[in-house]
Amino acid sequence: MPSIVDIAVQTEGFSTLVAAVQAAGLVEVLATGGPFTVFAPTDDAFAKLPPGTVQTLVDNPPQLARILKFHVVAGCWKKDDLMTQHELNSLESSPIPIRVSPIFEVKNATVLAADIEADNGIIHVIDNVILMG
Amino acid sequence: MLSPLIWFPIAGALLMACLPAKLNTAQVRGVALAISGAVVLWTIGLFTQFDLSLAGFQMREFMPWLPMLGLNYDVAVDGLSLMMIALNSLLTWIAIYSSAKTTARPRFFYSLILLVSGGVAGAFLAQNLLLFFLLFEIELVPFYLLISIWGGTKREYAATKFLLYTAIAGILIFAAFVGTVWLGGTLDFSYEQALSAQLPISAQVVLLSILLVGFGIKIPLIPFHTWLPDTYVSASPPIAILLGGVLAKLGTYGIFRFGLGLFPEAWSLISPFLAVWAAASVMYGAITAIAQKDIKRMVAYSSIGHMGYVMLGGAAFTELSIVGAISQMVSHGLILALLFHLVGVVETKVGTRQLDQLNGLMNPLRGLPMMSALLVLSGMASAGIPGLVGFITEFLVFQGSYSVFPIQTLLCVVGTGLTAVYFVILINRTCFGKLDNERAYYDKVTGNERAPALVLAALVVVLGLQPNWLVHWSETTSRSLVAAVPMAQDVRIALQADLGRLD
Amino acid sequence: MITTADKQATTSLPPSNHEFAEVVHRLEAGGSMLPDNPENLKQIIGIYKAYAVPMDFYWRDLLYIAEHVFLNPLPAFKYFISEKYLNRPNAYAGDNADLRIWRGEADAHPELREFMAQGERKRKLPRLFHHLWHDRVNMEFAEACMLAMFWHEDINPTFNAYLETDEYRANSDRAIRAYFKGNPVMLGLYKLFPDMFLEQVRRLSYYANLGLFWEVMAPVFFEMSDLYDEGKMTTVPEAMDFLVNGIFAVAGRPIYHHVYIDGECYEIIPKSQGFTWLYEAALPYVEAVFYRTAPFRGTKSYNAQAGQVPADQKDFHYGILYADVFPVGSAGIPPTLLMQDMLHFLPDYLIELYQQHGRGEDDMLVQLGITFQRSMYNVTSAVIQALRTALLYPLDDSNLDHLRANRAFFEQQMDRFKRPEARLRDIQSQNYR
Repeated sequence: MPSIVDIAVQTEGFSTLVAAVQAAGLVEVLATGGPFTVFAPTDDAFAKLPPGTVQTLVDNPPQLARILKFHVVAGCWKKDDLMTQHELNSLESSPIPIRVSPIFEVKNATVLAADIEADNGIIHVIDNVILMG
Repeated sequence: MLSPLIWFPIAGALLMACLPAKLNTAQVRGVALAISGAVVLWTIGLFTQFDLSLAGFQMREFMPWLPMLGLNYDVAVDGLSLMMIALNSLLTWIAIYSSAKTTARPRFFYSLILLVSGGVAGAFLAQNLLLFFLLFEIELVPFYLLISIWGGTKREYAATKFLLYTAIAGILIFAAFVGTVWLGGTLDFSYEQALSAQLPISAQVVLLSILLVGFGIKIPLIPFHTWLPDTYVSASPPIAILLGGVLAKLGTYGIFRFGLGLFPEAWSLISPFLAVWAAASVMYGAITAIAQKDIKRMVAYSSIGHMGYVMLGGAAFTELSIVGAISQMVSHGLILALLFHLVGVVETKVGTRQLDQLNGLMNPLRGLPMMSALLVLSGMASAGIPGLVGFITEFLVFQGSYSVFPIQTLLCVVGTGLTAVYFVILINRTCFGKLDNERAYYDKVTGNERAPALVLAALVVVLGLQPNWLVHWSETTSRSLVAAVPMAQDVRIALQADLGRLD
Repeated sequence: MITTADKQATTSLPPSNHEFAEVVHRLEAGGSMLPDNPENLKQIIGIYKAYAVPMDFYWRDLLYIAEHVFLNPLPAFKYFISEKYLNRPNAYAGDNADLRIWRGEADAHPELREFMAQGERKRKLPRLFHHLWHDRVNMEFAEACMLAMFWHEDINPTFNAYLETDEYRANSDRAIRAYFKGNPVMLGLYKLFPDMFLEQVRRLSYYANLGLFWEVMAPVFFEMSDLYDEGKMTTVPEAMDFLVNGIFAVAGRPIYHHVYIDGECYEIIPKSQGFTWLYEAALPYVEAVFYRTAPFRGTKSYNAQAGQVPADQKDFHYGILYADVFPVGSAGIPPTLLMQDMLHFLPDYLIELYQQHGRGEDDMLVQLGITFQRSMYNVTSAVIQALRTALLYPLDDSNLDHLRANRAFFEQQMDRFKRPEARLRDIQSQNYR
């Protein structure tokens, strides 16, 4: 089975995310570590951010890594597992609020595609970059 | 030398009335200021000519007028008159300066002020009882008009009350004068003749009592004071300055000149009662002022208390206390004028005189910092803080009267302490604290509003530091006044002898 | 690009019942807490410009102190910024900017240099005289802001947690030893009271923090002023949106603390810690300086025993959003220092405006203080809208639950202005000057 990184690279619409993961130097971890649950923002999600936002982050890998880590949770959390869960702790250490019904929402993002299985974890595709706070 | 002090303002008043109507208020005010300024300069000239070594009257001017009535134009000046003339000239100028440049019907307003000023000057100089009475009465109608036309709320009521009280005072004074002349069997109404009148002590006491009530209304002393708060508060600031600064002095001047001067024996007899009366006025004025919520009313009541010191000094009739009393008249005039002016500026800018609405005026950017500072200064002066003119004059009075009336004097000293109480209340609420955000959009204080206050404040400080400049003018006069009064002891002995003879 | 202004209030929520319902609705329509009218725009842009010039000094000197003056036991000359720091290129202006926000030059602003040379008295004197005469930029204001951030510990948990780590301790230790090399007295003192020195370094880390924060804000304000002068910024919401975009653009800027000792760089807080401008500087700054700060010494005294000062630090409300500008204009307290600084750099159109109101020249400090208050309500609005964008939902979201969540957020923010000291009510009217 392909790794989380492989899926992201192979699937269309995640080029920004892939570039960001590369810039932040997180490829290695996401390809071999785990298991992780990744909330993967689409290219459209990144495009929603005001201009310059992504560029500043890409220029500063540690800061970018911190934002990306907020999208990653340790362990495999499928949608069904999250029924009773209101919150997950991200790798960044801030909590991520989760709502499954009526629609599957992660903080202020909506899950577009849930439960994509990878070798080392689960991917949920989301329509917004989520931020701490 | 003296007549211009009377006739120049009166002629000026007529001139003002004839000014073309197209002149605006500021121009009319300018003309009035010039006339009044000339009178001030003339007064300064008078000081240079005044001979300090003469005990009696000097610079006498005499002209027969209606000899058959005993009424002659007869004016002269002594130390007492000189101080009163100076106060009148200065405060008239200050009052005109203090008036708003937007005063309605300016020609009428300023000619009335000048008319009053001339009349009051005449009264202070008159050497004839009838002449004094006439000039004394002259101010009545102009003041009625000044209050009822340019006053604040309740002005009609206040003006009428003022008119009634003053008219009654006038009747009483007239009665006393006529009584003196008739009973004394003098030839005419001249002061000189009246001095030589021989009256039995009982008649003296009666006449003096009538005079005291008449002038007591004018000063005012309790319980004849009820017109004062209404009148002072309803009058616009320049008029309040004239009323409190000058007019009230007509009362004490009258008591000293005619009460003390004409009836020395009776005076020494009833002086203990006068001292009690003075102390009661002081206490009443101070305690009532503490209770006030309106700063103008507070200042008005403070005036009652401070005139009490003058009465105390008169009652004690030692040389020191008389000098103190005369100086206190001047210092009270200066301080009261300053207070009324400042209260007027505060009211114009802030739009209220209520203690519970005023606050934080000391704020340097949005408050009235200069006015607040001067308000503090005048409050200190009024409360008799050393270094300011109020201290010197009150101290002279107390020093002079303590040996005669210790209890009454101590009561008055307590009154001074109470003065500090209400001025601390006034200053604390008005000047200190936090300026209110909602309403603190006051207009700037203009130079025109500042100037009179600065002039008065400078006098208050300079005369406080160099009191001799104020005191020495009246020393000789005081000495001669006191010399004329027999000690109370002697009178009582003489009286007992009289009574003994009646037995 | 976020252009909240042109979005219509498509909300189908019932009207808000909040005390500041009008403001809530305006925020929901993409507006600012400050009403949109030409005069407000003129006031806030003018004051941003007047603020940016001294701020250009503040950030440079804060970094100079954090990086060079460091633990100097007698820092008498800490406000005597070096030429190098005056020339230090701002990362957000000039040709070599990381991200060019201002089209102007990256070194110190010309008006600032002119003022530093001549001062208020327009006289060229040695810098020491200007300093002693207090004819200079009031750096004390910047330090007061820094102290507010330092003192309100609860609002910057991640950053403060790092200041307590062994790693930070070790980094500081190296820098302290290097700084006092060959100074047995200070090294001996360090041996005796290590925590005292450490606490000073923590403080200096906040100097760096605030300096890096303001390095961004100065070019943002300069650019807004230029855009206004060019007629390209025409409404208050546009001004707010510019700020929102600026906040996002630099959100990821690293916050760090480097110290330079004998030409060598000691990384006390390395960039690799991942501290960001938005989370570790901007948001704590707004909370500490706009909302909380501390009661100032000045014309108003507070009686803590009588409960006039809240028992809880988080309830403090002495920031510019609550400030009573009247006494502030009159005493030696931090905001007055800022007003005094801004007074030197007011654009002509603001001076003209002030001359038409109040007491003209005489109370200009108060008038510009109130303008500053208005402008900071606009900046706070930008922060609120930025947070809403980052954490909640678009204003034109079709999901009613999302709109409800937005409303709840806005109302919760407005709740902070319910207390009587808040000036939100006042700035709704142009009569507040």
